[in-house]
This record gives sequence, structure tokens and C-alpha cells, in this order.
Amino acid sequence: MAIHTNLYLLVFLPAVLIIYQLVPRKARWGVLLAASYALYISFSKYLVLLLMATAAFTYAIGRWMDKIGNDCEEKQKECTDRKQKSEVKKAFQKKRVTALRVGVLVLLGILFYVNYYNFVAQNCNIFLGKIGAQLPMAKVMFPMGISFYTLEAVGYMADVYWERYPAEKNLGKLALFLSFFPQIMEGPIARYPDTSDALFAGEPLRMENLNEGFLRIIWGLFKKMVVSDRLTLLTNHIFDNYKEYHGSFIVLAAIAYTVQLYLEFSGSIDIVIGSGKFFGVTIPENFNQPFSAQSAAEFWRRWHMSLGNWFKNYVFYPITVSPMVKNWNKMARKKYGKYWAMVGTSAMALFPVWVATGVWHGAGWKYLFYGMYYFVILLLGVALEPLKEKRNKMLGIDPNAWWFKTLRILKTWVIIFTGELFFNAKNLTAGFHMFFSIFGNFHISSIWKYFPDVITAGDVWAICVGSVIVWIVGFLKENGVDVRGRILGARTRYKWGIYYLIIFAILTFGAYGTGYQPVDLIYAGF
Amino acid sequence: MEELLEILRDIDDSVDYEKETALIDDHILDSFGIITLISEIEEHFDIEVDAAEMTPENFNSAQAMWKMIQRLQEN
Repeated sequence: MAIHTNLYLLVFLPAVLIIYQLVPRKARWGVLLAASYALYISFSKYLVLLLMATAAFTYAIGRWMDKIGNDCEEKQKECTDRKQKSEVKKAFQKKRVTALRVGVLVLLGILFYVNYYNFVAQNCNIFLGKIGAQLPMAKVMFPMGISFYTLEAVGYMADVYWERYPAEKNLGKLALFLSFFPQIMEGPIARYPDTSDALFAGEPLRMENLNEGFLRIIWGLFKKMVVSDRLTLLTNHIFDNYKEYHGSFIVLAAIAYTVQLYLEFSGSIDIVIGSGKFFGVTIPENFNQPFSAQSAAEFWRRWHMSLGNWFKNYVFYPITVSPMVKNWNKMARKKYGKYWAMVGTSAMALFPVWVATGVWHGAGWKYLFYGMYYFVILLLGVALEPLKEKRNKMLGIDPNAWWFKTLRILKTWVIIFTGELFFNAKNLTAGFHMFFSIFGNFHISSIWKYFPDVITAGDVWAICVGSVIVWIVGFLKENGVDVRGRILGARTRYKWGIYYLIIFAILTFGAYGTGYQPVDLIYAGF
Repeated sequence: MEELLEILRDIDDSVDYEKETALIDDHILDSFGIITLISEIEEHFDIEVDAAEMTPENFNSAQAMWKMIQRLQEN
């Protein structure tokens, strides 16, 4: 039961809302937990046990670290001077590090086994085969959402270790944070303080939340069903038969897939956020007009923001301030100067972030390439910054001029489309084949002549008009006009007029009927 | 405090650091700016900034950074 299906939207969600409202306030978080596990069982069956075990394990590690902290405080009370206190703290800190390491290694170990064991074994066997050895392949079932809830659990343990908040004392409540049903399939990856208070508060249903949530859900369905699901037929056709296409068709496929992915993923996140809003839970945003970004670095601050923030908080910053990197930085500042020290430190912190971002998306060389692609582009961005400033001064370019901003946005689009071409290619070899075939036989006019007949002219119209509507709403938001806020603040008859218009558009122009298959959530597979 | 403001202006002189209170939340100071900032404040104020301190609350304003620096100097 995925979150974009009728079963979820018309049966499951209303049923949970009714039960939630009927039970006493104190027990409402229990309803949300039961609903979350019920939804999880509907698509992962007995693998719900792994989700439960992860919650119990994360809970135990958190409580263990808290206990060590309390024991430390008790011991410090017996100390007579600051030096003694500091030594006691150091000794207990070692124990807390051990607890954190155990927690992180176990959870990431499971994630690694589920996602990458067969991939690693397959690649190792290429070499092991030469000496007559073989690593066995494993029959692994993929637990839905494991990439998302594992990162939430690791983030929680790290925050408790850093004493940003105390460990949760109620196992059920922690389990709810890790498994809240709208978020379990595609995120966003929340930090504990983002949603915990609202999840456990048991706020009654409120009309303003229901309104906001409803608008968000139908907007998400519009993006997914009117535009994204129609584009799936076109992109699947070209990516599956990539050897038959070249030049302008590959560019078209790369652009179409990027639009499809954005509208599918952001549309699903709209449904997630809308569902959470019904219960008064504000789930963190995951997108912020990513195609308005003027650089690749800015793009990643606007696209899949919760994943970017997770890597920034739990990988990038800890590496930046780790003793090894700091010592290198100090040495490099003296020996090579501030500029090279900064570039080197950036490389050391960015490299693991982008290896991890690549492999987080799945097992395959293309994902690793995707990560390395952005690593190189982001590092070049840092390294070339002084040169860019010099160029602007020399040529008298105003970086805030509209034409310069537009050029930067267009350059960022090229970077994004190229990245998504490799991301969605069948494999890395196919990605390179498609990329190099762009430069042969590039004729825009051939698009009209040989357009694949997998979608009709009507589909093209629906895609174009739908995309333009989404773009206008995003453009207005970027320029300070909150369209959603204005609709919600409008008189009831206007508000409902717009609701009906969106629902009418989904029912009339949504991808239904013969030839169409319900399109799965793309990020639920990661 | 003036020394900290000079470090910040050296990273980006177009920001009014005495008034700005959302340096991280509004992405005025990006991750790469933070790398330079950490190196500079550790060197100038003889402190060690560890991972636990890397929160938006500690870096959203010059005032918050100054408070963190003073706290770390006391420890």
C-alpha cells in the first residue's frame, strides 16, 4: 500500500484519522505507531521485525549512553578538583564512544549487507575466480525504507552521544519516530527534535491542518500523476532502447527524466508532508525550487535537502573537525598557505560524503560514478572560486546581474541533466554510451520527425502544461509569493474552487487507463 | 569580539555580521566557509572546536559564535 494509491488515500488515511481522533489524547501516539507498523506489514510483511529490532537496538544504545553520562556525573561529584573531574570525564567518554561505535557499526552493517553484499561479492568473484575461490551470493529481501530509517537512527544515536538531547525513555515513542507511516517509504530523513514533540503530543485534528494537508496531498498527486507518470513511458522507452537513439533524443531523455524524477519525488514528499500535517506533525521540507540553483553546491542545498543535511551534520562536519583533518589543515596552512589548506580540507571532507551519497542510492558502479561526478564538480567549485572573483573584477561582471544569474542557472541545469543521465542509465557503460552519443547526429528537428509513439500528443500537452504550472508556482515562491498560503487564506468558496480544479485536473489529465501501469515511487527503491 | 568579526569579514565582507542571526539557516555561511572559519577561530582563540559544537545554534550569528568561543576558552 504505497502512499499514492487509492487504498492509502481513500481508506487507510481516513481510517487512521478517525481512530486517532476517537482515542484519548495520551494514547494517540500509540494509534500512529500501530498504523505505521500495519502499513509496513502491508508491503514488507515479516521484515517489520527488522524495523522493530532496529528501534529496540537504537533505544538500547541511547539509554546506554545516557547511563554512562549519569554514572560520569555521579563519579565527578566525588572529585575534589577540575583536573580530576576532567580525567573522569575522559574515561567515561571512551565508554560512550564505544557505545556509539557499536550502534553505528551494527546498523550500517545491516544496511550494507542488505544493499551491497551481492554487489561486492559479484565484483570480488571476478578476481577470486582466478584462484578458484567464490564468495556465495545471498538471497536478500529488501526491507522497505531501510536506507531512510537507518540514517534517522544513526543521527539519533550521534545526537545523544553529542548530548544535543537526552535519550528517549519510551521505546514505543522512539519506534514511532523511526517508523512514522507517511515517511517510512521515501523520507524525508528527520532529526529527532524535528517531529518527536508533535508525534507524541496527540493534538486533536484541526480544520486548518486538514485544509493544509489536503491541499498539499492533491498538489503532490497533480505533480506525480499528470506529469511524472506520463513521462515515465517516454523515459523508460529511450533508456531501455538507448542504442537506437542518439543526439537530441538522449538530451531529451536526460531532461525528461530529471523533470520526471523531480515531480515524482517532490510530489510524493508533498503527500508525505500533507499526511503528517493532518495529525499536526510538521515533517521537514525536502525540496526548495532546486532548478533555481546557480551552482551544483546550491542545487544540493535545494534538492533532497534532508539527505544533504544528514550527510553535512553526521559526515561532513565531524570529518572537518576530526583530529586527523585538523592536523593536516594546520600543517598545510603553514606549508602551502590558506587557499590550498582549504581546498585540501574540502576534498578530505567531501570525498567520503559523495562516496556515501552515491552508494546510498544503490549498489552499482553508476551510483558510485554519480557520487564522484558531484565530488569533482563541487571541489572544482571551491578551488576555482578565487579565479571566478578575479574574472568578474577584470571583466566588470556584476554577479547579481540578471543575465549572469540566468547563465549560471543554465550551466547548473546542464550539470544536473548530465548527472541524472548517468543516474538513470541501465549501467555505467550504458551511461557513457548515451553521453557520448549526444555529440553525434544532434538534430533538434529530428525530435518531431521520429518522436517515439509511446506517448501521444495529448500526453505531451498534459506534460508541458502541468510542468509550466508547477514552474510558475515555484517561480512565484522563489520571488516571495506563497501561492499555497494564499489559497489557504482565501474565502472558502475560492479555496474549494481551486481544490476542485486540482482534483478535476488529476482525474481528467492524470495518467490512467489502458497502456498505463501504476508507477511505483522511485525513491522507495533506494 | 572585534577579532571574530574581522575573521568573518575576511570570509565574506558583504554580510552585516553584527545584525545577521541566520548565517547557517539562510545559507549565508556555507559548509566551505565553515571550514575556513573553524581553522581561523581555533588558531586565533586557541580553542578546539569538536563535532558536538557543530550546530546551527552555535554559528547562526557572530554573537552565538562568540559565546561558544568564550565557553570553550573557559573549559
